[in-house]
Amino acid sequence: MFELLDLKQGSSYAGDIDQLILMITIITGVWFLLTAGMFFWLLFRFRAKKDESGQYVTGDEPQLKRWVTWPHMLILLCDIAVIVMAVNVWYTVKQDLPEADATIRIIAQQWAWTFVHPGPDGELDTPDDIRTVDRLYLQEGITYHYKLSSVDVLHDFSVPIFRLKQDAVPGREITGWFKPTVQGEYGIQCAEMCGIGHGIMGARLILQSASDHEFWIQSNSPTPVAQVTGQ
Amino acid sequence: MKWRNRVLGASLLLAAVGCVSGETQHERGEALYGYCEQCHGDAGQGNADFRTPAIAGLQDWYIEAQLQKFRIGARGDHPDDLDGLRMRPMSRTLATDGEVALVSAYVASLDPVDPPDTMVGGDPVAGRVLFNTCIECHGERAEGRRDKSAPSLLNQSDWYLVAQLHKFRSGIRGADTLDTTGIQMRPNALALENDQAVRDVVAYIETLDN
Repeated sequence: MFELLDLKQGSSYAGDIDQLILMITIITGVWFLLTAGMFFWLLFRFRAKKDESGQYVTGDEPQLKRWVTWPHMLILLCDIAVIVMAVNVWYTVKQDLPEADATIRIIAQQWAWTFVHPGPDGELDTPDDIRTVDRLYLQEGITYHYKLSSVDVLHDFSVPIFRLKQDAVPGREITGWFKPTVQGEYGIQCAEMCGIGHGIMGARLILQSASDHEFWIQSNSPTPVAQVTGQ
Repeated sequence: MKWRNRVLGASLLLAAVGCVSGETQHERGEALYGYCEQCHGDAGQGNADFRTPAIAGLQDWYIEAQLQKFRIGARGDHPDDLDGLRMRPMSRTLATDGEVALVSAYVASLDPVDPPDTMVGGDPVAGRVLFNTCIECHGERAEGRRDKSAPSLLNQSDWYLVAQLHKFRSGIRGADTLDTTGIQMRPNALALENDQAVRDVVAYIETLDN
């Protein structure tokens, strides 16, 4: 269904989230159709007729009450099903933290994203780290941890193809994970109102094959720069 | 009746076109400035809290050149340039070169505002000597020279001048190959030995405002 809507799934958990949304849509959709159908049927069935006066119904009689109590219980069952599925997906995406193959740093600010990629040594926070602005380069098929922070106000790191949204909170470093599954170039956006430039705080995500990514790392590894005194 | 309707329709169309084109370039520039105003202030006076410099009365050619640099990523593209990174996406709200020119002309038309002094510890006497390096491009009175692509430094926030000199020295600004004029500025900024020298020369520039 999601393929038909051209909603590409680009992470290992994007399918789980889509399934959850689909299930919620089906459940609420079925109940919407049932209640709307019942409403209009009742309007038609008990419409005003000649020589027939209206009847006051208290709703106390068991045969009338069950029109409310049975759907109520069924909806509660649906709620429980949704909660179970949602908690399962939440645990997978937000609570679980699979072992990482690589770690990146994401720094949000008004109104740009700075990405710190590990350099040829594969380690973050070393001199060969590669820093980019508004362009995130990742390798397909490996698990990444991200360390997300903000230097000014609240932001939200949103990658629609990953079905990922994570707030960036000033003063906190938030760790999360994802595993990209498809190559290509996709959008990143800020999903938290962060000032006048919020709407244009976009970035690009470039998902590469292992060989292309290795080439990119080797090509962009910084050369040592002489330190300058002062600020 | 048919021809009358046609004449009426054509007249209304012409009137509508006239109304649209009746907006002067200055008004269009002012409208475009509405976005900039949020940070730079309604009079272009800048705001130290937002780390936005005074831009009122700057030369239009300089504003235009800087906006274009921000747009193409020649400036404000360095991960450590937090202020520049804020400006870069804003510059891209200007859709065309024409809009850049219009807003630049509008900003240039604003009356210069002398921002309050915020810097301490600068020695203008020592700065006078250091400023000799700057005269060749920025002029003896720091009024700027178009033939050198060097802007006026008058009526500029002292904290901004300090910050920019530090950015030039550390390569946050003026290191991108697309920033051809910034590359020229960088070695001159590096000629200032340390933070004290930067403060001294800015302290001297601030005395020229009067």
